[in-house]
Amino acid sequence: MRLLALAIGAAGLLLWPWAAPRYFVFLASLIVVNAIVAIGLNLLSGYTNQLSFGHAGFLAVGAYTAAIVATRSPGVPVVVALLAAALVTAAVGLLLGVPCLRLEGLYLAMATLAFGFVVVEAILNLDGLTRGNDGLRVPAARLGPWVLATDTARYYLVLAVGAVMVWAAGNLARTRTGRALLALRESEVAAQASGIHVARYKTLAFAISALYTGVAGGLFAFVVGFLSPDAFDVFLSVDFVAMIILGGLGSVPGSVAGAAVLTVLNDSLAGFQNYRPLIFGAILIASMLFMPGGIASAVRRLRTRWAGHPPMAPGSRRGLE
Amino acid sequence: MRSGWLLPLLALVVMVAAPARAEQGVTDTEILLGGSNSFSGPLAFTGEQITKFGVDLGFKAVNDGGGIHGRKVRTIWYDDGYKPQDAVANTRKLVEQDQVFAVIIPQGAPPVVATLEYLEQNRVPLLFPYQSSTVTRGRHWVFQGMTMSDRSSRMMIDYLVGRRKYRKFAALYQDDEYGKSFLTAFEKDLARHGLRLLAVESVKRGVTDVSAQIAKLHTAKPEVTFLVLVPGPGAQALRERQKIGWTDTLMVSTGPLTDERYLSLAGDAAEGVEGLSLWPDPLTSDLPGVRRYREHMQNYFPRNEPNRYSLAGYFAAMLFAEGATRAGARLTRESLIAALQSVKRWESGILPPLTIGPDHETQKQAVWVRVERGRFKQLTDWLKSE
Amino acid sequence: MTIAALVHVVVSGLATGSIYALVALSLVIVYNATRTLNFAQGEMLMVSTFAGFTVYAHVKLPLVVVMLIAVAAAALLGWVIERVIIRHAIGATHFDVLIITLGLSLVLRSAAGLAWTHDEFPFPSFFGTRPIVLGPVRVAPVSLGIIGASLALMLGLWALFTRTRLGRAMRAVAQNQRAARLVGISVERVYAASWILASVVGAIAGVLIAPVVFLSSQMGLVAINGFIAAVLGGFGSMPGAVVGGMLLGVIENLAPLYLPSSIKHSVPFLALIAILLIRPGGMLGRVARRKV
Repeated sequence: MRLLALAIGAAGLLLWPWAAPRYFVFLASLIVVNAIVAIGLNLLSGYTNQLSFGHAGFLAVGAYTAAIVATRSPGVPVVVALLAAALVTAAVGLLLGVPCLRLEGLYLAMATLAFGFVVVEAILNLDGLTRGNDGLRVPAARLGPWVLATDTARYYLVLAVGAVMVWAAGNLARTRTGRALLALRESEVAAQASGIHVARYKTLAFAISALYTGVAGGLFAFVVGFLSPDAFDVFLSVDFVAMIILGGLGSVPGSVAGAAVLTVLNDSLAGFQNYRPLIFGAILIASMLFMPGGIASAVRRLRTRWAGHPPMAPGSRRGLE
Repeated sequence: MRSGWLLPLLALVVMVAAPARAEQGVTDTEILLGGSNSFSGPLAFTGEQITKFGVDLGFKAVNDGGGIHGRKVRTIWYDDGYKPQDAVANTRKLVEQDQVFAVIIPQGAPPVVATLEYLEQNRVPLLFPYQSSTVTRGRHWVFQGMTMSDRSSRMMIDYLVGRRKYRKFAALYQDDEYGKSFLTAFEKDLARHGLRLLAVESVKRGVTDVSAQIAKLHTAKPEVTFLVLVPGPGAQALRERQKIGWTDTLMVSTGPLTDERYLSLAGDAAEGVEGLSLWPDPLTSDLPGVRRYREHMQNYFPRNEPNRYSLAGYFAAMLFAEGATRAGARLTRESLIAALQSVKRWESGILPPLTIGPDHETQKQAVWVRVERGRFKQLTDWLKSE
Repeated sequence: MTIAALVHVVVSGLATGSIYALVALSLVIVYNATRTLNFAQGEMLMVSTFAGFTVYAHVKLPLVVVMLIAVAAAALLGWVIERVIIRHAIGATHFDVLIITLGLSLVLRSAAGLAWTHDEFPFPSFFGTRPIVLGPVRVAPVSLGIIGASLALMLGLWALFTRTRLGRAMRAVAQNQRAARLVGISVERVYAASWILASVVGAIAGVLIAPVVFLSSQMGLVAINGFIAAVLGGFGSMPGAVVGGMLLGVIENLAPLYLPSSIKHSVPFLALIAILLIRPGGMLGRVARRKV
C-alpha cells in the first residue's frame, strides 16, 4: 500500500513536465528548492528545538558559490558547482555553529538573524566577486555534454538532487549521528549523561542544516538565473521558518508539504496585488489556529482517528517521522 | 493532473489549422499587457500609482475613445514586493500562462534586471521599465522609460558647474543599484570638469537616523550636496540639515527623488532646495497633456491625488497607444518595436516633442527646479543630455 | 569631527535608541507573560499611530489628544488580538503562536496600506526642529523630547511593575505561572493586561518616532531593531531592554562616523553577535539554568 503510493507519487513527479505547462514545471522546481531548505532548517529546529532566522543567508552563500564557480570555470559540471555550494555553506555553518553553541532559543535566533544581515552586506561589499548591487547572471547548468537550458532539464536536475536530499534526511535517523541527535532533542542533559558529545553534535546539526540550504541555494541560482542581494532579505528567512512550522516541526514530509503549500500560495496570490499579504497572513493565522502543530500533526491526528486509536497525548507532538 | 498527451495534440491541431499565427496577446478586440510590480514592500506606493492609477488611467481613456484600431487594451498586474525571484516568477506567468503581448512599466533595477534575459530570449517587448540604471540600454526588445542615471548626472553636473559655477560637491546616496549608478555617473562627469566628489555617504533603505551621515558631509564643506535617495530618507536628510543649522550648502535632488511627497514630508526644511525634475508639475502645470491627465484622473479616479508616479504611468500608456496605432491593424511584437522606433516629434503635451531613435530611450531631458514656498518653481527650459 | 557635532550625533542616536528601547520593552512585556515573541508588535504600533493620525487629519485636535486616541486604539487592538486570536490558539506551541503573530503582521501592514495607502505622511511633533544652541553644541529639541518622554514612560512602567497589584501579578506570572495561579492570580487577566500594556507602550513609541521617520505602512519595521535591542540587553529583562535600545541607537550612529563604508552597515549586527559571544544571555540577562 505504502509502496504503491510511493510509486504513483514518483511516477507523477517524473511525468510532470510532460503533463504540465512550462510555467508549472518552473514552479515545481522552486517548490523542490524551498523543500530542501525547509528540510535543512527542520534538521536544526527539529533536533535542537531552536529556530534560525538566518537561513536566507545560507541560501545566499550557496547560490553565490555555485554561480561564481559556474561563471569562473565555464563547462564545469553542475554537480561540482553544487558540491562547492554545499561544502562552502557547510563550512560557513560550522564557523557560525561553534560560537552559537552557547546560545539558546531567542539568542540563537537573533544571532542567526544578524548573520543573515551580515551576509547581505558581505555580498554588497565583495562586488569584485559577486557584482554587488548590479546582480549576478547565472550561466546555464552543464552536465557533461548537455546544457541544462530548458525548464524540463532544470526540473529533472532539481528533482534528482531533491530526491537524494530527502532520502538522506529520512535515513539520518538510522545512523549513529541521527540517533545521537534524536537523543539530544529529547533531553540534552540525558544525552550528555549517556556519553553523547553534545557540543559536537549540535555543531554538526548546524553544519548539516547549512549544507542542505547551500545545495538548495545552488539549485536556486540555476532555476532563477539571476542573483542579487535583495533576494535574500530577512523576510525570506522568516518564510522558511513559516514553512517548517506550518509543515510540522521535526517532520521531513511536513517540511516538503509546508514548502509546497507556501510556495504555491505565494505564487498564486500575486494577482491579488495589494491584497496579497493580507490573504497570505490570514491563511497563516487560520492554519495555526485550526491546525496546531502544522500539517504533519494534523495528518497524524487524522490517521489515529481513522485507525480508531485514542488521540495522542499532547506533548508528543514533535516526533520525527 | 491533466492527461499527458491530449493537450499537446490538440494544441498542434489548432496551430496547424490556424490560417496565420496571430501575435500572442493580440486578438481582434483586445491587446493584453501586463507587468510585475511592487504592490507590497518598500516601493508599494509608487508601484500602485504607476500601474493602477497611471497606466490603467491612460488605457481607460484610450479604450473609452474607441481603443487602438478597434482593440481595447487590458492589463494584468502581479505583486513582486520588490523581490527579484518573485519578479521572475510573475513575468514568466505573464508570458507563458496569460500570454501577454508585452510587459509594461516594471519597477526597480533588481526585479527588472532579473527578468531581462528571459524576456529577450522569448522576444517579449519590455516597455518603459521604471528604473534609472543603464543596464537596459542598447537592447532590441527594451524601450527605456525613466531618464537614465548617466544622462541625469550629465545634465546636473553640466548645469551646476557650467552655468552656476559650483566647484565643490558631495553626495548622500541610497546603498543600492539606484544610488550606486548615480554615484558612478557623478564621478565620471565631475572628472570631465577636472573635479571630484569631496565626500560621499550612504544610507540603507528604511534608515531611522541620518544625523551621522549629515554630520560627516558637513565637515567636508561642499557647496553642493546631491541627494540620491527616496522620499522618506530624502526628507529626513533635509530636516537633519535644519537641525544642525547647516545653511551653506545647496541640496540638490536627483530626478527620481524630485517629487511632491518629498516636499510635503520635509515641510519648511525643503525651502531653497533645488533639483532635476523629469516631469512638469502634475498639480499646477498648464501643459495640455498634463491638464488632460488631471481631467482623466478626476473622471476615473476622483479620490486619487495627481502625482508624478501616476503621470509617468499615464505617459507610458499614451506612448504605447501611439506606437500601437503607428504599427497598424496587424499588430505584432516586431511591428510595435519598429513603430516605436520610428516615433518622430510626437506631441504628448506633457514632455517636449518626442523622437525615439535606434537607442530606444524615450526620455532624455529634464528641467531644473527650486522649491519656493512649498512648490517647485521651474528655473530653466528643458535641459538636454545629448 | 568636532566635539559639538559628536554630541549632536550621540544625542540623536540616544533618541532613536529610546524608541528601540520602548519597542523592546513592549516585546519583553508580552514575552514575560506569555513566552511569545510578538512579530506583529511593529505593525500594532503603526496601526495605532495611524488611528491617531486619521482623527488629526479630519479635526486638528491638540497633539496630546491625538496621542491619547492612539493609545486608546492601541489598547483596543491589543485586547482584541489577545481575546480573539491568541487566546484561541489552544494547544498551539510557542512556535505556532509565532507564526500567528507573523500572519498578523502581514495582515496589519497590508490592511494599513489599503486603508491609508502605502504613502508616507508627515506627522505633527510635540517638539520643534530648530536647534537649541548651548555654546558650540547644538542639539535638536525633538531628540531631547523623545529621550525625555521615553524616560518618563519607563519610570511609569517601573512604578507600575513594582508598586501596583497588577504589576506584581505580572512579575509573578513571568517568574512562575503555576505558582502565580496557586496564590490566586488570574493568569488570563495578566495575559490580557500584558498585551494591552505592550500595545500602549508601542503606540507611544509610534507617536514619538512618526514625526522623525514619517508615518507609513512600513514604519512597523522598526520592530526588528526593537528585537535586536531586547536581545542585546538580555531578553526578559526590562532594564536590559532599555540599555540595549540606547546602545543600539548610539552604535548605529557612531559606526558611520568612524568606520569605512564597507562595514559600517554591518556594525550593529556584528556588535550583537559579539555581545552574545561574550555574554550568551545578553548584557543584563541571565542564562536559564537547565532542568533535568
